[in-house]
This record gives sequence, C-alpha cells and structure tokens, in this order.
Amino acid sequence: METLSNSKRITFAIMGLVLTGAAALTLFDLRLASSQTVTLVAKRSEDPVALDDPSDDVWNKASRIQVVLSGQSTVPPRGGDDGTVTAGALHHDGKLYIRMEWSDGSEDASTGRQTEFSDGAAVQFPVEHGESVPAFCMGNPEAPVNIWQWKASRQAGTGAAVLDMQDVYPNMAVDTYPFEDEAEFYPASASGNIVVREDRASAADNLLAGSFGTLTAAEDQTVAGTGVWEDGTWTVVFSRDLQAGEEYTQFSEGDSTNVAFAVWDGAKAQRDGIKSVSQFMTLEVSPDIATGRAGRLSGKDAGLFVMVGLVVVAGLATVGSYLLYTRRETA
Amino acid sequence: MAKVRNWQLGREMDYRLPEAHPDRQFVAVFNTNRCIACQTCSFACKSTWTFSRGQEFMWWNNVETKPYGGYPHHWDVKLLQMLNDANPGGQTWDTSTQGDDAPYGEFKGMTIFEAAAAEGKDNAIGYVPTEEDWTSPNLYEDTAKGNPGVPNEYHPEGAQLPEHDTWFFYLQRICNHCTYPGCVSACPRNAIYKRPEDGIVLIDQERCRGYRKCVEQCPYKKSMYRPNQQVSEKCIACYPRVEGSDPITGGVPMETRCVATCVGKIRLQGLVDVADGDWTEAPTNPLYFLIRKEQVALPLYPQFGTEPNIFYIPPRWVPRPYLRQLFGPGVDAAIERYDNPSRELQAVLQLFRATQKIIFRYEIEEGEELLDEEINGRRVQIFNDTIVGFDGAGNEAVRVSVEEPFHVRNGEFAGQYQNSI
Repeated sequence: METLSNSKRITFAIMGLVLTGAAALTLFDLRLASSQTVTLVAKRSEDPVALDDPSDDVWNKASRIQVVLSGQSTVPPRGGDDGTVTAGALHHDGKLYIRMEWSDGSEDASTGRQTEFSDGAAVQFPVEHGESVPAFCMGNPEAPVNIWQWKASRQAGTGAAVLDMQDVYPNMAVDTYPFEDEAEFYPASASGNIVVREDRASAADNLLAGSFGTLTAAEDQTVAGTGVWEDGTWTVVFSRDLQAGEEYTQFSEGDSTNVAFAVWDGAKAQRDGIKSVSQFMTLEVSPDIATGRAGRLSGKDAGLFVMVGLVVVAGLATVGSYLLYTRRETA
Repeated sequence: MAKVRNWQLGREMDYRLPEAHPDRQFVAVFNTNRCIACQTCSFACKSTWTFSRGQEFMWWNNVETKPYGGYPHHWDVKLLQMLNDANPGGQTWDTSTQGDDAPYGEFKGMTIFEAAAAEGKDNAIGYVPTEEDWTSPNLYEDTAKGNPGVPNEYHPEGAQLPEHDTWFFYLQRICNHCTYPGCVSACPRNAIYKRPEDGIVLIDQERCRGYRKCVEQCPYKKSMYRPNQQVSEKCIACYPRVEGSDPITGGVPMETRCVATCVGKIRLQGLVDVADGDWTEAPTNPLYFLIRKEQVALPLYPQFGTEPNIFYIPPRWVPRPYLRQLFGPGVDAAIERYDNPSRELQAVLQLFRATQKIIFRYEIEEGEELLDEEINGRRVQIFNDTIVGFDGAGNEAVRVSVEEPFHVRNGEFAGQYQNSI
C-alpha cells in the first residue's frame, strides 16, 4: 500500500509539473530545445527588422526557443559551459534574421592585448538539407556546413575592426616604421585573411566547414551581424538573403533545414573549439505572419489561447489533486 | 594520439598527428661558449622581419642570459614547473641505454604531450604569456648566479673551471623548427605546417584566426600574437634564403640572417637529409658531424618532447646539473669533447660563419702539426688542417685552416690610419 501510494504520488507530481511547464512555455511562445526534434520557426515579419538594433520591438512578434548549450567535448581543444541561448528567427523582404540572446557577465570586445579574447556567437546550417543531418560539430566532408560567426572584436564601436597599436597602448612611442605602407609587411591582410580584412562591412563572417579544422572563409561575405551587450546580456542578430550562392545554405518559405548555435566567452579565454554548443534543431521558414505574444490575437491564436488555458487548468488540477491525495494519505 | 619515434628521447612518444618527416631538415648549431651577446643576430632578424606595426614586442631571435633571463620572462621555468607538477620527481633519464638509436639514453619522464594526457588536458600543457612576460626582453642581462649564501658580495674563487661558482651564460634562441612541433599539434585550424622540403615550420597567414593555441603550446614560446593583424606569427627560418632565392648566392641555399650576421662566429646552419624517420648518415655534413657523430651539440630541453632542431654546444663553465636540465644527459660528454676536440672537430669548428652559403659537405686537407703538449694532464695536439666547405651545387664555397692567417698591413696605408682601413 505504502509503495503504491509513493509511485502514485510521483506519477501525479511529474504529470502536473510537465503539464504546467509545457503550458507556461507555450503561453510565452518558448520551446525547450536540445535536439533537432525541436523547431525554430522563422515567421514572416510585416515590419522591417533593424539589423543594428537587436532590441527592436519587431522581435516581440518572433517565435523563440530556449536552446540548451553544453561544452564542446568532441575534439581538442575542448571546453565551454552549460547554458542556454534564447534563439529567435524572422524573415522579411527576402532576408532571414536569426537572433541570439544569452547572458555573459562581461563585454569582451577586444583582442588587442596578448591574453584578450573576444566574445562571440555563431549559427550553423547544413549546406544541403537532406535526409541525414551533418555532424553538428563542423559538419562532414560529404555534408559541409555553412557557419555565420559574429565576434564582438570585429564590430566597430565595441572593438576595432582593424586595430591600431595606438588604440591598445596610447602612450607607446616608436621612432619609425620602415616600409610602413607596403602591404607585404602585414602578411595576414596581404594574403586576404578574412579576420583582418579592411573592407569589413559586418562583424559577422560567412564560413564553410566540412569537419574539424577545415573552417574556411567563404568567397562571398554576404552575412551581416550586429551585437549589443547590456546589463550582462549579449543580443546578436544575423541576417542574410534567403537565397545565396549554391555553395551556401538556401532558405525558402515553406522549407525546413537545421540550425545549431554556439557561444564563446572571451573572459574565459574561449576561442575555437573551446565553446558552448547546441545540437542541430529544425529551422522552418514559415509563410505565417509573425504576431507573437505581443501581437494581436487572431482567431487561430484565440483558439490556441483557450487550449493553453485548459492545459494550465488541467495541470493545476493535477497538482491540486496530488496535494489533496498526499494529505489524506498522511492523515 | 599517435605513437611517434623521438630519437632525442630514445623512445616512442604520444603526439596528436601521425609520424611524418620532411625530406630535409633545417638544423643549426649554436656554440654558447663563443657568444658575447652583442645581439647582432636579434637585430638582423628584427630589421629583416619584425619591424612593422604590431610586431614591436617580437624577437623571433633573442639572446637571453641564463639562469635568470628569459624571453618571455621565465618561459622555461614555468613549463618545467608545470611538468614537475604533472609528474613530480619523475622527469628523469635512463642513460644506461645510450646507443645509436638513443644517443642520450631514454627519457623516463613525461613530455608536454604526455603530461597533458596525464592531466586530462588537450594536446600539450602550456600557457599564454602575459604582456608583462613579453616586456623587457633582455631583463637579467649579464646577471650572474651569486656567491651561494653570501648575497651582494664578490666571490673570490667564483670563476674556476670545471664549474664556476658564480656564473651566467648566453642562450641564443630562435624557433626550433621541431620535428613534432607543439604549435602544429596545437592549431585547431590546421593553419601551421612543416614544409616537406626543409622541415621549416610556418603559420599560414591566410588561415590563422588568432586563437593563440600555438602561443600556448609552443614550449619555447616562439609563436607570437600580432594584435593589429589578429593572427600569430613566428620565425620563418629566412626560408627565401634557405631556398636559395636570394640573389647574393646565385641560387644555392643560404644561411639565415641571424646565422649569417653572427659577430662571434657561434652559429652554423644547414640542412640534413632525412629518410625512414631519421637523419641520413652523412659524416661529412658539418651539422650531422657535430650533432650525431661527434655529439658535441645538444638539443634544448629535449624532455619537452618536440624534437627541436637547434642544437647547442653547452657552456663548459656552468654547473652540470643545470646544464643537464637544459640540454639533457649528453652534457658531460659534449663538454668533454669540446674541451678536448678531436682533430676533425678542430677543423669543423672553423666553418662557423666562414661563408653565408649553406655547407652541405666538407673535405679536410691535412696540414702540419702546430702543437703537441701536455695541458692540464692531457696530451693536446693541434694540426693546421684546412677544411673545404661545398655548397648546395657541390661547388667549393669556403676554405679555412685551423690556424687563422695573421696579416700585417704595410704599404701605402701603414701608419696613415689608426683603424687600418
């Protein structure tokens, strides 16, 4: 009798918590995600999305998911943290927008000093959306991935796109630099290394990879990205045309692909594989209009609202009956 | 982790990448006994490669005063401490197994790679030096180890061979162009590579993303981060010269700038052939002779496990325990051979800085006996042999004799100029 009541209690408690939790998440348009069974829906935004303002009101209408991150533990250098990113997505006027929001206690936007590393974020898509999903760690040789990577240090205003030593050491004095204007003495930029390109239009890079160690700058730098750090939270918005060159991920209304997220904390010297990563999940580019929780309730949304209400009531009722039941048992 | 053979350790060791060898290896010998720390090498390098913005702190070549000096500060002491923490008291050698395959015996301790595995870390142990570490690159210049127990006082018998009580010496350092480089193993981008044609280790400036894993894991701290390029750079072994593309030598391989400018004639640099994972026996290649045959030049911190390719003739006045920690257990024999050089070694030592063409082979023409005396209880014989060095094309590049010719300038300028020009 005692055993049965214990297992009943546990069952009731779990049912109640699951129902209440699910209802709350649905009510706030949040979804827990740790695998590709979860879908981030990029709905169509009726209003333009400001790329330079990640706190733009338009994001209140976007659907969002909570993405679980964990330290990258597959290949050296390993590292990173457990955490979450709130990911949102929209599309407007032929462009896809992905927004990431995560907490980070410090804004690390400079790599000017020897031991300074930058905060960063990335989204990753399979180049080809097919039956099988590439390895979420940098893809496979036969199934490459397209990565959009944003770094705080590359963002004018928060760091320095192309840094001058005087910015790092204002009091430094050097008599002369011979051949100062000759490009070959700046070999990274002279060889076209994307990290120091002077014509950088955005803090986000368009990259391709086909397994570990193969990350390579793409020919076309068509990805835009802006981040804002405020009160311990980074918010970054990426954007690109839905359609791009065939070597990159294509998006179109009504289609789905996969998406994974990564975050770097510069204060912890995180860079490269030392990062917090998610698994692949589904990204759906939907023809539906983004209304979100801040939007007007349409007939469909009202129906959903009633359903959510019912689920909440059911959850609460389950918890209540559990409490009553346990009180009777103990009495 | 793969198993690779490290001849300097006399055994196999763990390394991230499979064993691979270049066809030829860039190798140099630095004779610490002759260095006067004039830093001409440091400035030759700087004025050739690192004079631009963002490279202000970089000294791909540096000369530091041991035991206290180091660029970056205490680079070696810090790593030795980390190794000892990983393997307390275990960093020892078994010299009973010395032989052709294991010239210094077998290292029983942990390399930087093995220590990382033991501690559950990735690849290799190491650290990223701070900015303060890179400042004042010649701090502790000429600072001797003092009179033990008597601070700030002159040691009246401090400088008596075989080991001085108060001592310092100059350690000349460039990238070791290691056989198993810590930097290559560290780079998650596979942006660092070892060239098959000469074993020179380079950072691909187009692929590097400035993660500084190479800075962290190079035990010799010869990868350096350039902030305004947001990538790391390192010693490139003056590869255009080594390739022979500098017009001065007419197409034959040429020594690096730091070697070719050495005022003290302490440096000799060349290329050795590699086959089946080891240096091809070449007794008349001066580098092969000094390092593998005569074993008078030793690797720097072989216990780190990267199989470095710059070799040092150890300073003969320095206490041996310190030298064994720096150069391994071959120190005693190396100093003995340098102190009492064979007839052939006397001749080969003349090749240092005799030409800036790389010498691939030498021949010795025997000369008359100059000296046959008992010195410090030993019979010392010196012969005025002539050594002829041949360049990469097989042509005679230099001809020098053991007895340096003595010239007296007479004639029209005699007495006219004090400096004899």
